[in-house]
Amino acid sequence: MGNLVQAELRKTTTTGLWWGLLIPTAVLALGWGLSTGLLGKYFVDFASTSEVDEVSDFLGVTPDQWKVSLFGIARAINISTIFPMVFGALAISGEINRRTITTTFLTAPSRMQALLAKMLVYVLWGAVYGLAIMLFLGIGVVLTSNAGQLPDAGGWVTLTLVCVLSSVLMTMFGVGIGALIPNVAGSIVLLLLYFLVIENVLHLVLAYLEVPAVIGFLPNGSINGLTGSAAVDLFLSTAGVVPPEIEDVLRAIAGAGGALDWWWSGLVFLGWSGIVFAGGWALTQSKDIT
Amino acid sequence: MHDGSGLIAVQNLTKQFGSVTAVQNLSFTVSPGSVTGFLGPNGAGKTTTLRMLLGLVKPTGGTATINGRLFHQLGQPGRVVGAVLEAQGFHPARSARNHLRVYAAAIGVPDAQADQVLGLVGLGSAADRKVGGFSLGMKQRLALATALLGDPQVLVLDEPANGLDPEGIAWLRTFLQSYARMGRTVLISSHLLAEVEQTVDQVVIISRGQTMFYGPLDQLRQSQQRRVLVQPSDVNALANALRAEGVHAIEQLADGRLAVSGVDSKHVADSALRAGVSIYGIQEEQVDLERLFFQLTSGQFAGHAPAPYKQQGGWA
Ligand SMILES: Nc1ncnc2c1ncn2[C@@H]1O[C@H](COP(=O)(O)OP(=O)(O)O)[C@@H](O)[C@H]1O
Ligand SMILES: [Mg+2]
Repeated sequence: MGNLVQAELRKTTTTGLWWGLLIPTAVLALGWGLSTGLLGKYFVDFASTSEVDEVSDFLGVTPDQWKVSLFGIARAINISTIFPMVFGALAISGEINRRTITTTFLTAPSRMQALLAKMLVYVLWGAVYGLAIMLFLGIGVVLTSNAGQLPDAGGWVTLTLVCVLSSVLMTMFGVGIGALIPNVAGSIVLLLLYFLVIENVLHLVLAYLEVPAVIGFLPNGSINGLTGSAAVDLFLSTAGVVPPEIEDVLRAIAGAGGALDWWWSGLVFLGWSGIVFAGGWALTQSKDIT
Repeated sequence: MHDGSGLIAVQNLTKQFGSVTAVQNLSFTVSPGSVTGFLGPNGAGKTTTLRMLLGLVKPTGGTATINGRLFHQLGQPGRVVGAVLEAQGFHPARSARNHLRVYAAAIGVPDAQADQVLGLVGLGSAADRKVGGFSLGMKQRLALATALLGDPQVLVLDEPANGLDPEGIAWLRTFLQSYARMGRTVLISSHLLAEVEQTVDQVVIISRGQTMFYGPLDQLRQSQQRRVLVQPSDVNALANALRAEGVHAIEQLADGRLAVSGVDSKHVADSALRAGVSIYGIQEEQVDLERLFFQLTSGQFAGHAPAPYKQQGGWA
């Protein structure tokens, strides 16, 4: 098994795809971080005017101490982890497309071991992407935010953790979809459409139907819930007593409307990843490689 | 994990792709120490058979084993069997050396083995070039290098001559023969008998998914009885003279000549002299393997069964 993991690792390091996708990921995270700081400053300036005094009373702190960057960070993680997901989607569909899967299966004791080794290596890459996202996002946010809007040290640790976790889970989901739909263009288009359009429309429909709780169980809803709920928790931990209505608004801003607790969200999405990987594995296991 | 015999055994192998029967009840064995040719026209089912042997395609029925085991029971398959298959891909952006290092890691052999097999197939100077820029022949050599990484006991090659220049084919021939002479098993497919005739000792000939002949190439050669084609002044007189001498395998050809089997041209000429018949032309028919191969495998797309061919031993 160690041999196969090393082989899969070499596959990823001997072509330029990993940095080809990492560059736009970093740029996106950095850009999102910079805008988060700017938007946050603008918002805090606005909130500091007298009209919104009641809100600051609710939150129990003055607006210049609101950690508004948390919301932008959560959203930035959600959007940036699309890239590691695409990277994961290419893992198996790329091999089938290029027909290298033949040699992969000829040199592995079993298909299952080959696929597991691949999954392990992509979990590792998911973590690398997650760390890179957090690094560039953090640089962007710190450059443009006031100190009062930034998370504290514990907050950074939590955010880094959920970012890496989110990135790993998104990569795994991509690997599964790439196995389930072994067509490079097909799987990527489907993933992008689903995560950027289809499920967002679905969220609106569910909110309209007044069953927002369902959102937290959908793939995008749950993975957004992982970061969004963690960010809201961090915000609230320094904000005093907040009425439920305001909390719902905050969740929506963090992109976690209708979501479960962060760890529940993570488990739900892990479930989705498990389902697609199991499906992709079953398909690949019995597939005739011709 | 396996018995180390180097034996390939295909038993009642059948593969159905939907309504297409690619392979039908195929049986043969391949022994170590010789190069076996796996022959049949395009679409005969060669690639499908080899892919079933290598665990890439699931048989509808029957088994194909290497060293007495199914492919996925081999443990470390890369160290037991190496394969060059049609439509085996490479990542165009990966260098030849890196390609080999990936699979060296998978098989569990040292990286140095990658450079060794590159040198063996004559790609040493192209080691750091991206495979995307390789010619068909170079890719074929790299595929062979990949197959050799694990120093396997069994080598399976599907139409390896495709894309190779004459020099490459000559090199491959020598290489495979010496590989087999080390006591290893070599199975090589082709749709042209002539292409492998000088390489192989044994042949398995299939047509429409079924075995047509299986045995030593020499036996195939001998199975084609030599005939003497003679143009006499008096066909009946010569035929009667020959029959009187106990030669009965006489056939009249459409062009008026007689085809006499079982005797040589000297015999026929002597008989003609004794019978007072002149000979205007006489010729011994050459054994034409290619024609025999064509006879064995013809009819694949013509919708009728190939002429039955009977001979004791070796016929499947
Ligand atoms: N994946 C597949 N799906 C459907 N038919 C196939 C498939 N692979 C091969 N065949 C059919 O099986 C037959 C044998 O093909 P193949 O094994 O490639 O023959 P050969 O290698 O001798 O040329 C052909 O009729 C071919 O069209
Ligand atoms: Mg073929």
